[in-house]
Amino acid sequence: MIIEALLAVTLLGGIAVLLAPDRLAGKLAFGISLGPLLGGLWMFWQFDGSGNLMFDSAAKSFESSLSGTTLLSMGPWDVQWLAAVDGISLPLVVLSTILTTLAIVSAWTPIDERQSQFYALVLFMEAALIGVFTALDFFVWFVFWEGVLVPMVLLIGVWGGPRRKYAAIKFLVYTNVASAVLFVGFLGLLAGLDGTITSFALPEISQAIHAGELQGVGPFSPEELATVSFFAMFAGFAVKVPIVPVHTWLPDAHVEAPTPVSVLLAGVLLKMGTYALLRFNFTMLPEVAMANAELIAAIAVISILYGAMLALAQRDLKRIVAYSSVSSMGYVILGLVAFTVYGVGGATFQMLSHGLISGLLFMTVGVIYNTTHTRMVGDMSGLADRMPVASWVFVAGAFGYMGLPLMSGFAAELFVFIGAFGAEGLQYSPIFTALGMFGIVIVAGYLLSAMQKSLFGPFRLETDYEIGRAPFHDVAPLFVLLGLIVLLGVAPDVVFDMVESATQPIVDAAAENGGGA
Amino acid sequence: MTVPVEWYLVLSAAVFCIGIFGILTRRNALIFLISVELMLNAANINLVAFSHFYGNATGQVFALFTIGLAAAEVAIGIGIILVLTRNFGEADVTLPTEMRW
Amino acid sequence: MVNAFDLVWLIAALPFLSFVVSVTVGRWLPKEGALPGIAATAGSLALSLWAFLTVRSSGAHYENELYTWIDAGGFELTFGVLVDPLSSMMLVLVSLVAFLVHVFSMGYMNDDELHREKGGFPRYYAGLGLFSASMLAFVFSSNLLMAFMFFELVGLCSWILIGFWFREEAPPSAAKKAFLVTRFGDYFFLVGVVGILVTFGTSGFADGGFPQIASHFLETGEGADHIWVPGDLDTQTWFSILGLLVLGGVIGKSAQFPLHTWLPDAMEGPTPVSALIHAATMVAAGVYLVARMFGFYAGLPTVLAIIAFIGGFTALFAASMGVVKDDIKQVLAYSTISQYGYMMLALGVGGYVAASFHLLNHAFFKALLFLGAGAVIVATHHHQDMWKLGGLKREMPVTYYTFLAGSLALAGIVPFSGFWSKDEVLYDALLIGLEQPLFLAAYAMGLLAVFLTGFYTFRMVFLTFHGEPRSEHAEHPEPLRWNTKGPLAVLGVLATVTGLLNMKPVAELIGNHDILYLENWLDSGTAANGGEWMGSLTYHHYGHLVHEVAGLHEGSPPPSAELAPIVFGAISLSLALGGALLAKSIYDVPEPERMTDRLGPVGRVVQRNYYLDEFQVWLATGVTEPVARASNTFDQGIIDGAVNATSSVSLFSGERVRRIQSGAVTNYVLVIVMSLIVFVVAVGIVGGWFL
Repeated sequence: MIIEALLAVTLLGGIAVLLAPDRLAGKLAFGISLGPLLGGLWMFWQFDGSGNLMFDSAAKSFESSLSGTTLLSMGPWDVQWLAAVDGISLPLVVLSTILTTLAIVSAWTPIDERQSQFYALVLFMEAALIGVFTALDFFVWFVFWEGVLVPMVLLIGVWGGPRRKYAAIKFLVYTNVASAVLFVGFLGLLAGLDGTITSFALPEISQAIHAGELQGVGPFSPEELATVSFFAMFAGFAVKVPIVPVHTWLPDAHVEAPTPVSVLLAGVLLKMGTYALLRFNFTMLPEVAMANAELIAAIAVISILYGAMLALAQRDLKRIVAYSSVSSMGYVILGLVAFTVYGVGGATFQMLSHGLISGLLFMTVGVIYNTTHTRMVGDMSGLADRMPVASWVFVAGAFGYMGLPLMSGFAAELFVFIGAFGAEGLQYSPIFTALGMFGIVIVAGYLLSAMQKSLFGPFRLETDYEIGRAPFHDVAPLFVLLGLIVLLGVAPDVVFDMVESATQPIVDAAAENGGGA
Repeated sequence: MTVPVEWYLVLSAAVFCIGIFGILTRRNALIFLISVELMLNAANINLVAFSHFYGNATGQVFALFTIGLAAAEVAIGIGIILVLTRNFGEADVTLPTEMRW
Repeated sequence: MVNAFDLVWLIAALPFLSFVVSVTVGRWLPKEGALPGIAATAGSLALSLWAFLTVRSSGAHYENELYTWIDAGGFELTFGVLVDPLSSMMLVLVSLVAFLVHVFSMGYMNDDELHREKGGFPRYYAGLGLFSASMLAFVFSSNLLMAFMFFELVGLCSWILIGFWFREEAPPSAAKKAFLVTRFGDYFFLVGVVGILVTFGTSGFADGGFPQIASHFLETGEGADHIWVPGDLDTQTWFSILGLLVLGGVIGKSAQFPLHTWLPDAMEGPTPVSALIHAATMVAAGVYLVARMFGFYAGLPTVLAIIAFIGGFTALFAASMGVVKDDIKQVLAYSTISQYGYMMLALGVGGYVAASFHLLNHAFFKALLFLGAGAVIVATHHHQDMWKLGGLKREMPVTYYTFLAGSLALAGIVPFSGFWSKDEVLYDALLIGLEQPLFLAAYAMGLLAVFLTGFYTFRMVFLTFHGEPRSEHAEHPEPLRWNTKGPLAVLGVLATVTGLLNMKPVAELIGNHDILYLENWLDSGTAANGGEWMGSLTYHHYGHLVHEVAGLHEGSPPPSAELAPIVFGAISLSLALGGALLAKSIYDVPEPERMTDRLGPVGRVVQRNYYLDEFQVWLATGVTEPVARASNTFDQGIIDGAVNATSSVSLFSGERVRRIQSGAVTNYVLVIVMSLIVFVVAVGIVGGWFL
């Protein structure tokens, strides 16, 4: 029942916050968000499942008695309520709850109008995110998937920067078109499985495909259908990740979104894309992924290097972090396509790590922005002189992003590299990996330049007011995130154990179905 | 001696064309209304002529309906024309173009 | 009883603790973090000595599972300790230099008025503590991955400390350059680490580690099915590629050509930091790494040749730039690059002992020289241009004589330490060079660099300490306290005597190899935990690999075997003396002249560091940035342009199409009528009415 309870608390809490007066909304939302946070941590503590939910062998954890309730009957198919977590989704649920709570706290300073609506939308989004990571029925999942968009568009479009409408509409249209494409792709799979499945439950569909029950539809043979569906879904999820060349909504959305929303956008929303890629494409259709491994790896490497080069050309701190997200998510794709324990596990680990680190950087940029009212690298210098805490936390986060050992970024990237380097199914894997790894040099280049120009050197900032101390509630979330980043870097096993148990079946299935190439 | 049905058709076509010509060339809404009436009546002539030709009353019943319809249409049309005149000072149909987009 | 080996981790943990203390409560402590740092490094030094003595009495120790970092998918990645003769020696060296640098820092930072004004001492001591901790952990790392991780942390600390005075323009820029250039090298290193992990399934240095597997395979051809090789690559070629990849990190950190450019800029940091970076930590890390995994390199002739050649070239190349520098710290910086070139040369010719020997000696005399330069700098109110100094000999005798000892060692004048080790390096290179012409070229470059070293070292000494003071600050230097003089004295003694550890020419002459203490030390091979594996970390084993597996045979020198070391030692000594005497004749005069101007265009090129800095800056700003800007334009223009174009096309076509609706009823009717006519005519044509 815990998953349903989390959803209910967040949703009802959101309604309560919506009705609360503005001056209480922030504190109330924080209090309510502690519920799912503690629930998530409790689940993490109590987790006793193993295996991957998509496979028969999984030992399900936290599956409630409501599971299997039919919500709707659509001809031969039933829409059911199915929710459970495994080693891939549970860390992401916890990540969402942590980042939401911290984002709410970090919103206390910058958000000064329509507070109750703002915090209510954040909570609605949290509910939808938990839904995305826990729902196992395609229809319910898709409702949550689209449900994330609505609060996000409003959060960008109402509380955003000067070009917020452009950014919000771009985000909405982009992701909606993508959803349509992935929906069609998935319908293709359903059509191919006509007659063999009785519900939209993802495990059932996945197992049916693995049992070889996918049939041809219309002019397509089963293999062609699988390929077409794979790429339709890939394209749909790629927008959310985002992968080059469908990434251009991201910088606009990030730059215009208020900082707490950027934190959630980079920290959790992007992970929806990679999570879905892992759950759908790489779990259900591994043989297609392996047959096109070189192509996907090339896309990943291009994302890494191209995103990093773009970040190098930016002058807006938020844009820098936004483009570097494109680069970082490329590592996830590279890890996924490797189909090794370290590759897929490292990709999952990178989702968590990137969520924490990019969240930290966005939050720090927000703290700096609250004070300086500018994010342009050229507009300020020597901030470390007046804002030592925020500056040095930014330094720590930046080094985390660069993959400094004993911080989570290094662990994640190292796992991905180890996994991808010797990937059997990927031809020229050492070359792909080595090329992708060059991203760690470029990332150091732009982050160090940005830091040198804005944080160090003689102090310069044109303001007509004194720079005061940032309030405690602005700074505290930064240290929470920093602590988590170091924890995951020093002891990756805390999470990697459960990640490994959930990714192992995927790797095995790939080796079986894909024939190991 | 009976009049051949073709003559009715020619008459009806002529009246219809006069109606269309009126709509296409005039701007006054009243003339519009009159032209529309002409076109409707051209159709009525057709209906009645064929009804007579085939010896079937359905066409004439239809013509009666059309006449009723035309009356209702005129009532609404004149109402629109009144509003038009009140807002624009004259009943020129090319003036009110604001509602198009 | 507590075993020293069980406490090895504390050697790194203590300085780390001082880092934590300085960061958290440093600003409220009496010396703002200096005292915990000194206490911690003193503790590390004591523990290191204990570990050293325990290795001496009971043999080496290897433990690969101090802490399991991750255990998944077939192999586990762990932190562990490897305490063998090499690492225990290095532990003592690093903790000693770190301790002395901490003590000296109290005099350099806390006692100096200007530095007190600038403040930030807790951050400084935190950086020093973390620096020492990372380096010490790097030294006792039991596997390559752990070594890489602390190698990177060393890079972070260098960034923090080089950019310590972040309120000025130059230090943050220098720090960025240092981190970026070494990061570029570390990129190759990381690829190498990942490659080694995937290839061998382990990155351990010792028992069953990758050097053992690799050399066993190269020697016997056994064990191929446990070695992963990509595609249909030849296994030895693949090993060479891996070796070169790891070497990339070494070239970056040890400032070898062409990645040496960061090091002179790194002089922007506080001088004690330079001492730490150059003598014992960051720069030493690269060479130490090659020595640590020498069992892997020893069997790969191509890689050895590249190492030797880079080393010899760097030695000469850097020395030539050291000749024309005016800033005392810059001269020292280029001398560091040059001296590490010698160590690389030694490793490239299989001179494992010679390289370790030079590493040891260099650590002491270079720390001494930097601390001496630091003493000069604080005493003269931050003047480091040698043309503004001069005549300091009378006012600063302690500094002068210790600095002189360090300089004699650096120049390689008998019997100071540098002579013995440099001579051994060159002798080893010569022996291989007699058989392999490529190595002979490396040897020749190294030999030529000896002359230049003698020249620039004494140019520096004469300009700084001799002659008449050339500025008022040099006339009345500030008095120094014990905390500056103490470390200088300790290092001065060490720089003088450490050469006695391995007097190869003397040993050959008297035919007594027992006095080669260092060689015997590095060859001692009993294992504390009883295994045979220690044999794979000894000098003998490496020598065997270099000669038998890599096929680099030693030629026999023309004079008899006993006399040869003496003869060639005399050659390099006379070159060093020649350089020193030339410097004396030019600069040890009351009014020395700037000779660099007379060198003409060649001098300008050398003074501008052969335009290599400009080249690298051009690579960054002239190539990378335009490419980045171009991709940004491409991204905003083409990709995002396509996205926006989709929306503009929709909007634009909508805008156009809606013009059909004019609002005039007449037009609509016309359209209806015309459509009707067109339709009827079309139906007519299709239906054939007009035929």
